[in-house]
Amino acid sequence: MMVLKIRDLYLYYQTLRGEVKAVEGVSLDIEAGEALGLVGESGCGKTSMSLGVTRLLPKNVSVYKGSIELEGKELMTLSNDKFRNEISWKKISMVFQGAMNSLNPVIKVGTQVAEPLRVHLDMDEKEAKAQVLEIFDNVGLPPETYDRYAHELSGGMKQRAVVAMALIMNPPFVILDEPTSALDVSIQAQTMNLLKRLKKERHIGMIFITHDIALSSDISDKMAVMYGGHIVEMGSAEQVILSPKHPYTQKLLASTPRLRSFSQPDFIPGAPPDLVNPPTGCNFHPRCHMAMDICRERDPPTCYPEEGQRVECWLYGDKDE
Amino acid sequence: MGFSARDALSEFWASRISKLGVALIIVLFAISAYVLASYPLNFGTQYWNKPQYWADYPKGVPPTWTQSFSSVRRPEHMILTTDVSQKKTRGNMLIEFNINFDLRADMFPQFTSFSLYKLTFYDSPPIIHLTLTKPDGSKIEDLLVEAVPFPSSGQEPPYVKYAESPLRIYLPGSPAVRNSIADYLRTEYGSTLTPLEIRNMGIEQFMFGSPDESGAFTNVVEGTYNIRVQVEIFNEEDTVESVKFVVGGQAFGFMGTDTLGRDLSVGLLFGFPVALFIGFITSTLTTIVGSVLGIMSGYIGGRTDNLIQRISDILNNLPQLPILIFLVFILGQNIWNIIMVLVVFGWSGLTILIRSMVLQAKQEQFIEASIASGASARWIMARHIFPQVAPFVFTQMIFYTPAAILAEAALSFLGLGDPSLPTWGQILERGFQTGAIFLGYWWWIIPPGLLIVVTALCFVFIAQGLEPVVNPRLRRMR
Repeated sequence: MMVLKIRDLYLYYQTLRGEVKAVEGVSLDIEAGEALGLVGESGCGKTSMSLGVTRLLPKNVSVYKGSIELEGKELMTLSNDKFRNEISWKKISMVFQGAMNSLNPVIKVGTQVAEPLRVHLDMDEKEAKAQVLEIFDNVGLPPETYDRYAHELSGGMKQRAVVAMALIMNPPFVILDEPTSALDVSIQAQTMNLLKRLKKERHIGMIFITHDIALSSDISDKMAVMYGGHIVEMGSAEQVILSPKHPYTQKLLASTPRLRSFSQPDFIPGAPPDLVNPPTGCNFHPRCHMAMDICRERDPPTCYPEEGQRVECWLYGDKDE
Repeated sequence: MGFSARDALSEFWASRISKLGVALIIVLFAISAYVLASYPLNFGTQYWNKPQYWADYPKGVPPTWTQSFSSVRRPEHMILTTDVSQKKTRGNMLIEFNINFDLRADMFPQFTSFSLYKLTFYDSPPIIHLTLTKPDGSKIEDLLVEAVPFPSSGQEPPYVKYAESPLRIYLPGSPAVRNSIADYLRTEYGSTLTPLEIRNMGIEQFMFGSPDESGAFTNVVEGTYNIRVQVEIFNEEDTVESVKFVVGGQAFGFMGTDTLGRDLSVGLLFGFPVALFIGFITSTLTTIVGSVLGIMSGYIGGRTDNLIQRISDILNNLPQLPILIFLVFILGQNIWNIIMVLVVFGWSGLTILIRSMVLQAKQEQFIEASIASGASARWIMARHIFPQVAPFVFTQMIFYTPAAILAEAALSFLGLGDPSLPTWGQILERGFQTGAIFLGYWWWIIPPGLLIVVTALCFVFIAQGLEPVVNPRLRRMR
């Protein structure tokens, strides 16, 4: 069953320098129990896209359009109040970057995890506590964590508490925004195992945002590569990792250092595009080693070089069209 | 790492200054509790501001304990009451009361007064005679002769008089007394002083003194005096319940009296709960208004922010005291008006501070997480933002308490206090207006001033002790 279906999502910000085109025509589908790994360098629009989906928009948004369907229901037409009351956290929850900062230092962890229950379901503290303890058990936190403050927990425990908070309303869909950054490798592995288990047990659809392709491949069924506000390549994890089609994906993979290999990691020349004045044609052409004339002139077409693999690149498109 | 409530308490308790503050505040509260339990709430209107109530108290005299530092013996204040009477017949029937008292002092008593309680008569109204016998045996016969007025027509015997309020005669003010003293001086010493001269010189020296070589009455005759009260009656059944004779002392009580004769210790005691009440109510309301508006201003932002900040800018830049005077003058001198005005002009500074703290706090990720979870702005302000600023708000509240007490004292000092509640500021103001400083009535000026300062200091001490709890940078290393 399709959980989330995004079509042509646009999100622009108005700044003093001009309009920042953070998300430009993004489309993707996520099935129930499926994880989509969203990778890309900093400033490519990953986080903007997730904010667009959860409607946590900053004040300076100038364009916000497209279609987001959750379990077959269009979200873009909902009023802010309705979205807040019916969708936020109940249907789409989020694990933010840096668990440490997601917990209020002056409130008990349990109280905070219970917050969505209190806000949405009007539960009293006792009922909420029972539910919180249940989910704590599920994510592997001891019950006494309920009465602890954030600074009394280890990094891994905080991460688990934040995951517990995201899952407390049992949402069908969760966005994980770099959930393991700032954690050491063993805790990272623990968290990934937890997420994988929860995905299977609870059959949750996920977007897993990271810049670490290796980590993403561990949990993702599908992967999407974002560059300059576009999803330049999307396909199953195997397709994207083993046979990348877009030059950017290829370069990205080549820049990852490999264990037990003497090959030097490659790098991508140049800098990420300025999204106020993006390059004409393909956003990637100034840095692309395979750029052609047409890349500078016209936007790249959407091509399907393999079953289930989508690429926005002139290499695979019909140039005479 | 953790900083629990217990740690906070021990941190607070570690400094000597907070111990001192707590000790002081316990004393303040204990006194206030005692006053609230033992004084009527309408003390101000019923007693303090009623000159009749203080009539038999000495006016503007120092505390009695000053005697131990002074070489001049001041007479004690004596209130002499008796209901023991004898019936006698000397021509007419008489009811006789005898009051004896000892006078040992270097100064004359300040005044004397006579009161009579509940007179019942059947035929003609009785006549009251007072005779003073000095220790040396000389007598002022009929020092006072007072004829009780006839009952108004329509009343039936027995006639009852002076039941609710006694017959009270202030001897220095009575022309009859002057005349009889003039007679006494003429027959005893051959003096030719007129009653008017006697009044101007003060009757006490003639009642309690004896002349020196030059003929001036400067020496106090020490010993046992006798006051004989004879009530001449015209029916056997006439009765008098009791009589009172007051010898006004030149020292009184623990704190002395003001020029109206009010016992300052009583007024100062009543000032304790009033000062604490004003301080707590004002600071609580001010911090509530200030923090609510500050949180709203910082968190909601936009127009709300602008509006609140501009209003607080205006309030901050207005000169506060003239406006306070103006508003209290217009609204009326009521304690609630004073508190209201103090709150209206007190919140703005706190609001600006809280706003800047909230601006920082609202950028935190847990706020974003809470927004994502669908919490309303009100929920976030109450559950996430307020706890961040709460410790600060709490110390501000304690800091503002002395400010409110001082502001009220200042208003009272300017004569804008609530007249129904005696406060330290008002006692100071009365003293100042009466010229207590120039008259040397230090006991009227120094104690209320000191009490205001000590009360304010006590809160400052506590706030100082709390600072390291709220601001970790001030914590000592242990």
